[in-house]
Amino acid sequence: MRKISRLGAEAKLGWALVAPALGVIALIAIFPLGWTFWESLHLHELRMPWLGKPFIGLANYIEIAKDPRFWAALGHTAFFTVVSISLELVIGLFLALAMNRVFRGRGFVRAAVLVPWAIPTVVAALLWRFIFESQGGILNAMLVNVGLLKEPMVWFIETKTAWVPVILADVWKTTPFVALLLLAGLQNIDLSLYEAAAVDGANAWWQLRHITLPLLKPAILVTLIFRTLDGFRVFDLIYVLTGGGPGTSTEPVALYTFNALLQNLRFGYGSALSVVIFAITFALALFYVRGLGVRLGGEE
Amino acid sequence: MAFIKTVAVRAIPLALLIACGGASNKHETVLTFSGSALGAEGTLVARQLKRFMQLNPGIRVELQRTPDDASQRHQLYVQWLNARVGNPSILQLDVVWTPEFAAAGWVLPLDKFAPAKSEFFPATIAANTWAGKLYALPWFADVGLLYRRTDLVPREPQTLEELVADAQRAKAQRGGPRYGLVSQGARYEGLITGFVEYLGAFGGRIIDDTGEVVVNRPEAVRALEFMRDELYKWNVVPLDVLTWHEEEARFAFQNANAVFMRNWPYAVGAMSDTTQSKVIGKFAVSPMPKSATAANGHSTAALGGAQLAINAYTEFPDAAYKLIAYLTAPEQMLERAQAVGQYPTRSRLYDDPRLRGAINIPLESARRAIESATPRPVTPIYNELSEILQIEVSRALVRQSEPKQALDEAAARINALIERTGMRKLMRGTL
Repeated sequence: MRKISRLGAEAKLGWALVAPALGVIALIAIFPLGWTFWESLHLHELRMPWLGKPFIGLANYIEIAKDPRFWAALGHTAFFTVVSISLELVIGLFLALAMNRVFRGRGFVRAAVLVPWAIPTVVAALLWRFIFESQGGILNAMLVNVGLLKEPMVWFIETKTAWVPVILADVWKTTPFVALLLLAGLQNIDLSLYEAAAVDGANAWWQLRHITLPLLKPAILVTLIFRTLDGFRVFDLIYVLTGGGPGTSTEPVALYTFNALLQNLRFGYGSALSVVIFAITFALALFYVRGLGVRLGGEE
Repeated sequence: MAFIKTVAVRAIPLALLIACGGASNKHETVLTFSGSALGAEGTLVARQLKRFMQLNPGIRVELQRTPDDASQRHQLYVQWLNARVGNPSILQLDVVWTPEFAAAGWVLPLDKFAPAKSEFFPATIAANTWAGKLYALPWFADVGLLYRRTDLVPREPQTLEELVADAQRAKAQRGGPRYGLVSQGARYEGLITGFVEYLGAFGGRIIDDTGEVVVNRPEAVRALEFMRDELYKWNVVPLDVLTWHEEEARFAFQNANAVFMRNWPYAVGAMSDTTQSKVIGKFAVSPMPKSATAANGHSTAALGGAQLAINAYTEFPDAAYKLIAYLTAPEQMLERAQAVGQYPTRSRLYDDPRLRGAINIPLESARRAIESATPRPVTPIYNELSEILQIEVSRALVRQSEPKQALDEAAARINALIERTGMRKLMRGTL
């Protein structure tokens, strides 16, 4: 590393040139973050001005740590993230392998697969809600017709069954995105490797395990990082489908935070929750980048 | 975010004020009225404001459009008032907001203007009273009603137990409707309005007059057990209701799929509409009945509706009161009922023949319903209190917990909320 002072005028010019960009980053990323953190150290309830706005140190964080609803929400978020991403990776890999083959109409299929991804989440969630509606829902009608159910089932009043539409909707919507990322990875694999393996007598399963998957690792990790962070911030899908219910048994942390911040207007406590979510997602991203060696752009 | 919002919230109305001030006479009194400019409601408000200005040449009133959606309007008001903005000078409050705004010091007490409280239904005054002072005047009322299919159940049930028996009998008839009673059971505010009606029927309350939390007392537990038995034991309420809001219940009833429905008066309109209703001329309304098993239970209707209050930061409180008094005067209320069908809050108007036909149900039914109306807990922390109850009542109804356990949990959390928000001190200091 050369020292900046040695570079003199050139370095100064460099700093001057990046200054506007740094300024913008400071304004839109660092300043709000700092403000939110500062807010999180106060008791600030917009609906209760008689409490004033005293500095209370880490009391909001202690309240979070003691709140069973928060820990439950964290559990729901982790459950949702793990289950939906596992399904998306497996199904997405199949789709990507299929789309990687040369066949007629491949371009059309690739475009068609993306349709669910292109639908706004709220709209998709409403569609799934209609499908799972107890009276007049398509799914119940089908299950009753083929004799699997005696009478329509109310999916949203039991925890186990309420998760079904939530996970299904997320998998339906996001698998195409996963498939496309994996497809891009597949296209980077040198075809001559497969030819050599075939000459050596390796079957398709061996090729998948020893060529495709290892070489696809960077693409898989990039997919994981995107999807884990998305999964952790899940909000709109659950807001529309279950509203966090029954009770609060499908409530994710983002919905809990939204409630505290925008429904109850508890700015201090809600800010502390936001900081906690930020810290968790940041730690996850760090873990992926440092721990698993995901490279985001740049050369290998 | 908060900071930026505050700046924007402060700066924009200020800029508007400066702009207006430049154009008009400095000594002119300018009021802003928060309301809707849409449809029949918009026309009505514009007409009444215009008449008010003709009667009061020194006062100019401008309509400030605010969202019709209550929770959006609430959020806007809270942000503006935190920034001490004096507009709109007259706030249109939902029935459960008045104590919150009063305790926050955002609206002015009206007692010095000596409004004629006794002319309004007592429940509508109680809902707007905090720490012994009146903070808003009831503008129109909304009440929970029991809708009944008169062709299936000719006689109005006098008790909840009769209601269940009637529903079972009508349902069991050949070709009878699929459901006994439909209502609002999703986890939202509507669930609590229904819960309040069952509570009253069993003589229970959420908070008593001394401010003590009594929602886990035996009578309240019995009310919640009754709600649960309607679902699982007597099968008169379908499980579907646990995901329903007002509209799903209305569809079921107007398609002749239910014997009874708990809903608000708005549903009468659609059910009398020949293009969509199958129950025209076959239904009647009454308040929810009381339970036969509870000694001090009483027929209870949840109270909704809108109130008018004076923004504490307005420059012109006296003029603002003049406008509120005008809009809540008998003539204007009658005109409102005739134009948009909203129920007057003055009891004497129900003797006025001009009201007949203006509102969509017989005057006697409306009067009885409003007379049995009970406000939801009148407390500044209602919003969070209701959230706690929504979760716990819903848990009991979907059988995630037992009624007693759910209400114990609710009581514990409401008590913690009261502690955290300094409500006890606030009540002691002001009561």
